[in-house]
Amino acid sequence: MTLLVLEGVRRRFGGIVAADGIDLALGDGERRCLIGPNGAGKSTVFKLIMGLVRPDSGSIRLDGREITREEPFRRVQLGLSMKYQTTRIFPSLTVAQNMSIARSRGGNGSDLVSWALDRLGLTSLATRSAGELSYGQQHWLEMCMVLGSGPRVVLMDEPTAGMTPEESRRTGGFIKELTGRGIAAIVIEHDMHFVRDLEAPTTVLHQGRVFREGSMAEIEADPEVQRIYLGEVDA
Amino acid sequence: MTGDLFNFGYQFLVNISFLMFAAMGLIIVLGMLNIINLAHGEFIMMGAYATTLLVHAGVPFVVAVVVATIIVGLIGIVVERLVIRRFYGNRLNALVATFGLSLMLSQGTLLIFGPFLKGIRMPLGGFRVGEYSYATYLLVVAILAFVLLFALWLLFYRTRLGIDMRATMQNPDMARALGVNTSRIHTFSFALGAALAGLTGALYAPTTTIVPLFGTAFIAPAFITVVIGGGADPLIGALASSVLLSTVSTPLSSQYGTFAGRIGLMLAALIIMRFLPDGLSYYVRAAMLRRRKARPEGAR
Amino acid sequence: MNGQSHVAAQSGSIAPASATVFERLGLDGPLTIFGGPVYWLLFVLALAAALLFPLYGSVFAALNFTNFLINVPLALGLALLWGYCGVLSFGQVAFFGIAGYAYGVMAINWGMGSATLLAAFCALGLTALVAAAFGYFLFYGRVSGWIVPVLTLVFTLVLETFLGQTAGMEWKIGEAPLGGFNGMTNIPSLTAGTISFDGFSLPLFYLVIILVAGILVGLRMLANSHFGHVIMAIQEDPERAELLGYDIRRYQLVVFTIAGFLAGLSGVLYATWGNFIQPSSVGLLAATFPVLWAAVGGRRSLTSVLIGTIALASLSDALAVYSGELAFVVMGALLLFGMMAAPDGIVITILRFLTKLVGRKSR
Repeated sequence: MTLLVLEGVRRRFGGIVAADGIDLALGDGERRCLIGPNGAGKSTVFKLIMGLVRPDSGSIRLDGREITREEPFRRVQLGLSMKYQTTRIFPSLTVAQNMSIARSRGGNGSDLVSWALDRLGLTSLATRSAGELSYGQQHWLEMCMVLGSGPRVVLMDEPTAGMTPEESRRTGGFIKELTGRGIAAIVIEHDMHFVRDLEAPTTVLHQGRVFREGSMAEIEADPEVQRIYLGEVDA
Repeated sequence: MTGDLFNFGYQFLVNISFLMFAAMGLIIVLGMLNIINLAHGEFIMMGAYATTLLVHAGVPFVVAVVVATIIVGLIGIVVERLVIRRFYGNRLNALVATFGLSLMLSQGTLLIFGPFLKGIRMPLGGFRVGEYSYATYLLVVAILAFVLLFALWLLFYRTRLGIDMRATMQNPDMARALGVNTSRIHTFSFALGAALAGLTGALYAPTTTIVPLFGTAFIAPAFITVVIGGGADPLIGALASSVLLSTVSTPLSSQYGTFAGRIGLMLAALIIMRFLPDGLSYYVRAAMLRRRKARPEGAR
Repeated sequence: MNGQSHVAAQSGSIAPASATVFERLGLDGPLTIFGGPVYWLLFVLALAAALLFPLYGSVFAALNFTNFLINVPLALGLALLWGYCGVLSFGQVAFFGIAGYAYGVMAINWGMGSATLLAAFCALGLTALVAAAFGYFLFYGRVSGWIVPVLTLVFTLVLETFLGQTAGMEWKIGEAPLGGFNGMTNIPSLTAGTISFDGFSLPLFYLVIILVAGILVGLRMLANSHFGHVIMAIQEDPERAELLGYDIRRYQLVVFTIAGFLAGLSGVLYATWGNFIQPSSVGLLAATFPVLWAAVGGRRSLTSVLIGTIALASLSDALAVYSGELAFVVMGALLLFGMMAAPDGIVITILRFLTKLVGRKSR
């Protein structure tokens, strides 16, 4: 059952075309990787889905419902959530207070959040100031926070950027268990090992358009994909 | 009928030039430094005071205007070096600090010079059209406003300095990496904004009484013009905004008085802000870019 | 699952399981900087000293002090708006003026006696409505940060100009002339039964003290509640807060309305204290004061703003005896150099230093 659909989404900024007719479909509980060379428009797709940027044309639908014109907070209330590339938490507050703010709808995502905090080892750090956490822990805190609204789809923008291999492995396991619990996830990543470990269908973006879609094995074997990464001829 | 039409046109032009002069310095500082200078009104006041004092000392009006403008520009350099540069990246604190500066300047002037200075006459006399008489000087000032706009355009788009300024505005790190002395550009930008304010005060000195709160008549309209214009492109913003706002305020003030015009401006600002929060210059520039892209030479 | 996260799982309950009694009541918390047993002891002592003041001090001094205290709600409203929510409004005095004039108009028209209470409530209600309407245009337009200070300043400037030119007799609402530059006079004081809250007797003194203490405690509890955490989050990272599902526009609007209401409360108290209200209570010079109190007091702490307001109001009052212009120059200098040298605020820096000295910190 398709949960999230992007259809013909276009967006330009001045002279730059960030999204040039993007079509994407995500099912309930599906795990998807989004890759592509720099400037391909990956982060823009996330911003379009969350409503931080409005498309020039095209449509975005969640659970069949048109959300193209909805405000960002409304989309979160409807079940979307995003983890930023550079961690954005509230460093002057404790972990517990960050989590409390993240639970905007009372105990809606309660079990899920408790599981996440536990899985990522943050439960014992409840009274620690968020600014004092290690880099990886701050990423994990944000991952728990974005679950606070009880989302159906979580977008993660380079969740393992700057993590140690051990932390990356733990994050990968976490994401797999998350989708196992019925929550869909789209993960933007540059780390190909991580992407491979996620064992998920992959979408390759290039110059604002969907270039290829398939399993990671298919993508890796495709010479066209290699070429766009090496920056040769335009596709 | 033609008399009324001319009357309206004259008022319209005079209002536009007033807004453009009042706002120009502020918009440039906003666009270049991302700072709102709440002492802007006091820079205008100092231009008026300098001009008035010089004229009373026997200096010819035109020379006094030029000298006053330069003096306020120099004061701008001092203010930028001592105060403003500590607040780049912290807009709200800059607002509060310049607010304090504005208070010191206006009340200090009151302390030193007293509640008012003897004024100066409007030069150039007047002329009649139909049953109304008009001041020639205001028409000259209106023309000067557009001359100034053109001069600034030349500066920004046809000089080396202008390119450096625009580069610094759009991407200061990159500009610095390319060898632009961004610190000096910042100082120059602020001084330019100050000088423009001083010029405004100098030009409008003959039109009204010279009091320490001279600037207050300018700041409300200036702020509204800037808020609507936005900092994306100072020249477009000032022009588009002045024209739009004059369209609102001129009919209101001719019918119901200056105050009604002022209220109209403020309400227009609130409504426009609600629907065009990035300022007119952003949308106008986006439209221009879209048109340029459509033409073959514009394609990347 | 240990007790900490279990408590955190309950919505609205911020305090960890090992909270002090003050924290459980919401009186203390991470968003109120100063607190703890010593703080509340000093608070009770100060309150007692104030309430018992007429026993050992002169009535004249008490009434003078009332004048300074009347400014506190205005200042605390701005502290909430600016220090907690990150929204700088230069126009709080506009709401002070609207409430003062509204109260004046209604009280003059409806006469003395308990009608004045109705006038006060209506004036406050009207002010809150105007604040909400203005705030709607500001926040629902999602305007960038600096536009709010500029537009609120413009609002108060325009209002001052308007009130200044209402001199003629045609500017009368019912029986109440707006009075132009000189303002509205002969405003009846708030009366409840036989008690008159005017500037010549003690009931107003007591009323203001109780109101100020209540507002301080109330705002602290608000700050430490879930609402307070959300507005702090909005200040720290508005986009992140929005992406956690909060309609930040609504929160900003609510805080702006509260701040407007508090400014209006100061306005009504002023009108009942002095029996007049004038355009100079509104506009550019008047707008300096609350910004000064919050900036120099230390906008992140309600307590330091309260102390700062009383200290600075007394200072400018003392200076104005010599020269009104000098008072303003000094205040301008305090603002300018305060922002350069102690951007967090002067009083708050002193209080933090004292707290460290005493060796007791709030958790």
